[in-house]
Amino acid sequence: MSLILLLTQQMCVYLVIVYLVSKTPLFKLFTESSKRAPHKVFIYVVFSLFCILATYFGEQTSGAIANTRAMGAVLGGLLGGPVTGFFVGLTGGLHRYTMGGFTDIACAISTTFEGLSAGLYSHYLKKTGKAESLYHPARVFMVTFAAELLQMSLILLIAKPFEQAWALVYVIAPPMLLINSLGAAMFMSIVRDQKTMLDKLSSSFSTNALKIAERSVGILSKGFNEQSSQKVAQIIIEETRVGAVAITDRHKLLAFIGIGADHHLPNTPISSTMTLDAIAQNKVMFADGVDNTYACSLSSQCNLGSSLVIPLRSNDEVVGTIKLYEPKNKLFLNINRTLGEGIARLLSNQILYGRFEQQKNLLMQAEIKLLQAQVNPHFLFNALNTISAIINRDPAMAKKLIQQLSQFLRINLTRTTGLVTLADELEHIDAYLAIEHARFIDKLKVNINIPAQYHHHTMPAFTLQPLIENAVKHGTSRMLEAGVITVEAKTQGKDLLLSVTDNAGLYRPANNTEGLGMNLVHKRIQNLYGEPYGITVKSEADTYTCVCVRIPVEEITS
Amino acid sequence: MISCLIIDDEPFARQEVADLLDKHDDISILGQCANAIEALQQINLLKPDLIFVDIQMPRINGMELIAMLNPEQTPRAVFITAFDEYATKAFDNNAFDYLLKPIDETRFNRTLDKVRSNMTPQPMANILPSQLPHLPCYSGSKLKVVATADVEFIVSDVGGIHVYSAKGVSHTQLTLKALEEKTMLFRCHKQYLLSLNAISEIDITDTGAEVTTHLGAKVPVSRRYLKDLKQLLGFV
Repeated sequence: MSLILLLTQQMCVYLVIVYLVSKTPLFKLFTESSKRAPHKVFIYVVFSLFCILATYFGEQTSGAIANTRAMGAVLGGLLGGPVTGFFVGLTGGLHRYTMGGFTDIACAISTTFEGLSAGLYSHYLKKTGKAESLYHPARVFMVTFAAELLQMSLILLIAKPFEQAWALVYVIAPPMLLINSLGAAMFMSIVRDQKTMLDKLSSSFSTNALKIAERSVGILSKGFNEQSSQKVAQIIIEETRVGAVAITDRHKLLAFIGIGADHHLPNTPISSTMTLDAIAQNKVMFADGVDNTYACSLSSQCNLGSSLVIPLRSNDEVVGTIKLYEPKNKLFLNINRTLGEGIARLLSNQILYGRFEQQKNLLMQAEIKLLQAQVNPHFLFNALNTISAIINRDPAMAKKLIQQLSQFLRINLTRTTGLVTLADELEHIDAYLAIEHARFIDKLKVNINIPAQYHHHTMPAFTLQPLIENAVKHGTSRMLEAGVITVEAKTQGKDLLLSVTDNAGLYRPANNTEGLGMNLVHKRIQNLYGEPYGITVKSEADTYTCVCVRIPVEEITS
Repeated sequence: MISCLIIDDEPFARQEVADLLDKHDDISILGQCANAIEALQQINLLKPDLIFVDIQMPRINGMELIAMLNPEQTPRAVFITAFDEYATKAFDNNAFDYLLKPIDETRFNRTLDKVRSNMTPQPMANILPSQLPHLPCYSGSKLKVVATADVEFIVSDVGGIHVYSAKGVSHTQLTLKALEEKTMLFRCHKQYLLSLNAISEIDITDTGAEVTTHLGAKVPVSRRYLKDLKQLLGFV
């Protein structure tokens, strides 16, 4: 009975040590199952020490040592696998051998055996996909129990004389079986608890991070400014529950939400040296509130005590910072620190993406502007030639043509790339056609069948006019017969369909100069309204070409 | 007296040239043409000394028009263009006469002076297209443009030059000689030009051979051209 108490005492000492270690990051190593060599070595060293200490602290009993060595060997095998288990057992066993006594060989062999068999069992569990049950205390109890039974049997088999061995086993078997199994089970229970806690923690961390990512997606890509920063800061404070969140650009505060919002006012210059340093050095700055406290530079009444400042980067250039604060009476959690850095990366990516999108848009607008500004020179000089031809015969008409040409050019040069109404577009078309009619007279006929009810619908400027110009330039002006162009509008469900049909049928898909203008119209519409919209072309050689624009019916703008 | 023809598809543009010419008593305007096909007919018919020709015209442009004329029949030409960087560069390099729209009267008069001093047509072969992608044709009184690639064969008889293609028979003002020079058609007989792509069968006869086209027409091949034809087709 006293042996049981003594061994229990020993086990308790171990468990206390294990419990303390479980509070350190080192303990995480037990909870991982890794194939890497350093991990195996770690397991080997720890559990070999376990075995050796257990032998040292063991109780001298009838010429042998009652001990808790089996715990070390079995746990080493379970956590480290067959090879590690074997070496842990061997080390423990060899050490035991050096201590002498009539069971020395038997103990050495059996300890090695325990480590190996526990390792093999753990390998078997992993192979069959039951790795989780490795951490079951009940199972560990059984395994250790079985291993100890094995040891007892080996002692009886190997240790001589048998009578002495039998007497020994009779005394030590019950306590050792019980205590070793119990100890191993409790050890594993601590490991398991720690593991569940870590899993829970990291899953709540991931959930938080994913939630922030999901809620903030796309906000900053629309532009990094006060409004968007405000929204993002709101999301972060709701999801992390830190004391306060601030977002700055390089010079001023864009958003501040939480404790201290009364004196940290958006749109004021950055005053904190920590933030300025973070921007200047492109470095995360942290005042944990313990060794290094955050002191508000604006107000002595400010209750904020700790602060994390993370630079926001676009490419390698710092564009601003994100700051998380906790009040003086609260500890800045490590998890929030990691989360904060993750959020900063996420936001940086969004800002970068936003800039990329913005530049793409600018490029397209420049392309459109360029194309608009490029009045077809052939059209322009022929128009001037027409005016020149009639100026003496019919000065009034020449004057009118000059007016119409001016109007056409003015619209071309001044119109923005934004949205216009169909009526605006038709005005542009009228000015254009007035010139073309003067040039071709009876060789060009244009029917515009667009009911007035569609006139207020909006569309990107230069949607319809270039199509009509194309129909003249690449269609009717190349015909020997008279050209007829028909422009029509109708609605189909929630879409507005505009079509320009000529009777030339000269459209060839590979026609590049024609394609450029039309492609641009198509791209702009798709960019603005989405995939289902844009331009389609139907053509039958020498019969007709029909270019159709599909855009959504928009709300009345004025 | 210098006779001239004005060729431009825009009525006011023709009018403008006519107005400018009215001030010069030594020049008479024979007519105005709205496209290259009309022009081809009028040039063959009226044989003007001088033509004013717009480069940009429907289906067959001004350069192609000149390329279609027999070199010995080509009148002195003054080109007109609104905007054609490539062509104006070529004209400058070859010292050809051209006018820019809107036409500057001073320059117009200077050009006329130059023409008066030398009515000899300038050799233009190096800037003209070497191959004609289209052939201007009539079908009855209707103007028609036939793609050269669609032509099976062309035959010349007392009624004129007849162009046979998948779209039927039409007539052209072009001479067999010009067609032989400016297209890939093969001279297989004194009166016939044949597209090698149209050949379906060749029967050897006493006088040479007879080709059956894909559309089933028969085209004679005279003995003097048979050897060349065989060679072109790879029967050596």
